Amino acid sequence: MSTGNELARVAAAETGTGKPEDAVAPETLALIDTYLRDHPGGTERLIPVLHRVQEELGYLPFPVIKAIAERLGISPIQAYGVVSFYHFFTTTPRGRYQLKVCMGTACFVRNANSVLESVHETIGLEVGGVTKDRLFSLEQVRCLGACGLAPAMMVNNEVYGYLTRAGVRKLLQGLRAKARTPHPGGEGGNG
Amino acid sequence: MGEIAPAAAPLDRTALAELRLRLAENLRARAGEPATGAPRELLVCAGGACISCHSLAVADELESALAASGRAGRVRVVRVGCMGLCEAGPLVVVSPDGVYYQKVDREGARRIVAEHLGAGQVVRELELAWDAPDGRRLAGREVPFFAQQVKIALRNCGVIDPAAIEEYVARDGYLALEKSLFELSADDVIADIKSSGLRGRGGAGFPSGMKWQFVREAPGDEKFVVCNGDEGDPGAFMDRSLLEGDPHSIIEGMAIAGRVTGASRGFVYVRAEYPLAIERLGNALAAARRAGLLGEDILGSGFGFDIEIRIGAGAFVCGEETALLRSIEGKRGTPQPRPPFPAQHGLWGKPTLINNVETWASVAPILLRGPKWFAAIGTGRSKGTKVFALAGAIRNTGLVEVPMGISLRTIVEEIGGGIPNGRSFKAAQSGGPSGGCIPAAAADVAIDYESLQELGSIMGSGGLIILDDRTCMVELARFFLEFLVEESCGKCPPCRIGTRVMLNLLERITKGEAVPADLDTLEALGRHIQHTSLCDLGQTAPNAVLSTLRHFRAEYDAHVLEGRCPAGQCKALLTYTIVAEACSGCALCAKACPSGGITGEIKHLHVIDQELCIHCGACLSVCPTDAVDAV
Repeated sequence: MSTGNELARVAAAETGTGKPEDAVAPETLALIDTYLRDHPGGTERLIPVLHRVQEELGYLPFPVIKAIAERLGISPIQAYGVVSFYHFFTTTPRGRYQLKVCMGTACFVRNANSVLESVHETIGLEVGGVTKDRLFSLEQVRCLGACGLAPAMMVNNEVYGYLTRAGVRKLLQGLRAKARTPHPGGEGGNG
Repeated sequence: MGEIAPAAAPLDRTALAELRLRLAENLRARAGEPATGAPRELLVCAGGACISCHSLAVADELESALAASGRAGRVRVVRVGCMGLCEAGPLVVVSPDGVYYQKVDREGARRIVAEHLGAGQVVRELELAWDAPDGRRLAGREVPFFAQQVKIALRNCGVIDPAAIEEYVARDGYLALEKSLFELSADDVIADIKSSGLRGRGGAGFPSGMKWQFVREAPGDEKFVVCNGDEGDPGAFMDRSLLEGDPHSIIEGMAIAGRVTGASRGFVYVRAEYPLAIERLGNALAAARRAGLLGEDILGSGFGFDIEIRIGAGAFVCGEETALLRSIEGKRGTPQPRPPFPAQHGLWGKPTLINNVETWASVAPILLRGPKWFAAIGTGRSKGTKVFALAGAIRNTGLVEVPMGISLRTIVEEIGGGIPNGRSFKAAQSGGPSGGCIPAAAADVAIDYESLQELGSIMGSGGLIILDDRTCMVELARFFLEFLVEESCGKCPPCRIGTRVMLNLLERITKGEAVPADLDTLEALGRHIQHTSLCDLGQTAPNAVLSTLRHFRAEYDAHVLEGRCPAGQCKALLTYTIVAEACSGCALCAKACPSGGITGEIKHLHVIDQELCIHCGACLSVCPTDAVDAV
């Protein structure tokens, strides 16, 4: 992910030289407006509203960041500065199952690398990647606070512990079977 | 649920007193304190770790087994917060018997109901017990893991249902708030906090009472109270367990501080990685509002106070107080130079009292039991207890609260149950990335803020990672530096550039490319970064390197001078060979080898060509018979 490109795209969006993707879906705008109406206040609402929108969309497209900035009366680049500062926010779409492999000290000591390797072997993902069908995305996080279960991984909001290579494989294959993807051959890319 | 329904209406002081009377015995029994006439209850650990081991399914199974045996109305199943011994989860306790069951599954749940409740027989195979060296069999609370602990901050964790405000109230909850509203003056409260000797549990150990006084005395009609729950240190889960297991203790501590300092708004800043903590704290806040313990005119005192949750967004530096305050304001979490301190110039420039989760949870007991009681625990300058998250190469992984001044050896060998897999204790890492390593040789030092600092580490928020002889200290230092390089906010050059250069040097060492002078550069650079960085993150960033250099110099030398990793962890320095006797000739290693360096026929010995070997370790990890040797 290149920050330079992102900035160029933000600039393009701001000067209106943009593409059709600049349009924000009316539902998203309604979501933002409802949130801001229900939570009166000032610019301190930026991070909570970003959380709310990312929860809904799975990521924060630039036109959405711009729309939020306008409503809070700050410049788009100020809002983007916040988005890019915090690891939790992402400007690229994530998978339906977001894998967050814990790389905290306890997991590190108990071989968390093998979890990352097993994810890679099973679905071909590197850290930061998304499968082509957007079923899985992979992140590494700094400690889930589940050190007793090390090595651990979070899939969306659920923590899985005592992971082995085989355990990771089984878990991912189970999730894939559960999802019954329409394009069974379309996985394995590094989005 | 049963006799304890969630409070729907505001409570007054009489109602609170009645609740305490009605439920006190019941809860004392659960906590293992002397009690009479307590009903039988099954406590199921619903802490984050046990839930991941399906403890909620165990609770459901207990309920259906109770219903099937006709005990549904008489024995309650209570989903309590973290009991601490995560390693043995899911945990179930039969109260008031005080019998602990470990690693309970659905089958185990049915057996507890049939055998323990039905036939009056303890289920031995599931009972948490330990055979002491002197031949005694210790069970439940007698096992060293529990027996050596002193619980103040964690007093209610594993005892109450965090979703039932009544149960918190019954443990003398909100009584300290009542005291501060109706009996004590603000100066009395501050005097008590001061003379208790309570120091900030977030890491730096600043005297809490002084902070409170600064905020009280700071001019301004608007002030704020903030709880720092941005537990970013990898290996730490104290705040998480407290927020999940006893959220009201934090709310009460903050409300008392609001009353004392004149603040009417509070914020709890919690990591986004802790969805369960956020949910339970949110429910607790709503319950406290409904009960009239938050909001306007609390208990008719005229004092109003409310708390909002702010969810972090994954930035380690936000654990630094000035960065955290910027984040609450909706900005990038970059630290500010101090002074001015938040006590004078905090949130939106107003006086702000910011304390850590564990500090807040310690406030009410100090006011109820008196500062003398608290100050009698601990060492000369570090009073009370400290919660540690015990993890890594240790048998009893979990959460423990111990008196200050305890030795590392007691924590590791008695409470922690020692090092598993026949390995030996090498060091303990405290304080997360800002901390350092305490070598096994210093295991008898009494732990407090000062002694840890003298050893080159810090108390930190309480993460304690135990390391065995297989951990390479250079690699560990590299791991922390990598973390800090990524988490440096980039504002000041010593941290932004300095940590990067240190990481480069460490990478050279772990790859065997370093020269002896690199070690001197590392040390000198580390001192520079400590002295010139803007905030705590940068000032403590070199600790991991400097403390391992100090205590494990020989290990660095082995890497640099001999090209050898004594712990066998730095892959680039290892030589991989296949042991003839153990090789089954399955050819998995040959398939896994990315450089085509392994040859051999199926069902015959395979051989690694050292010329082609790129030291990736793939053969080692796929070998089903452990025939690959790496030294």
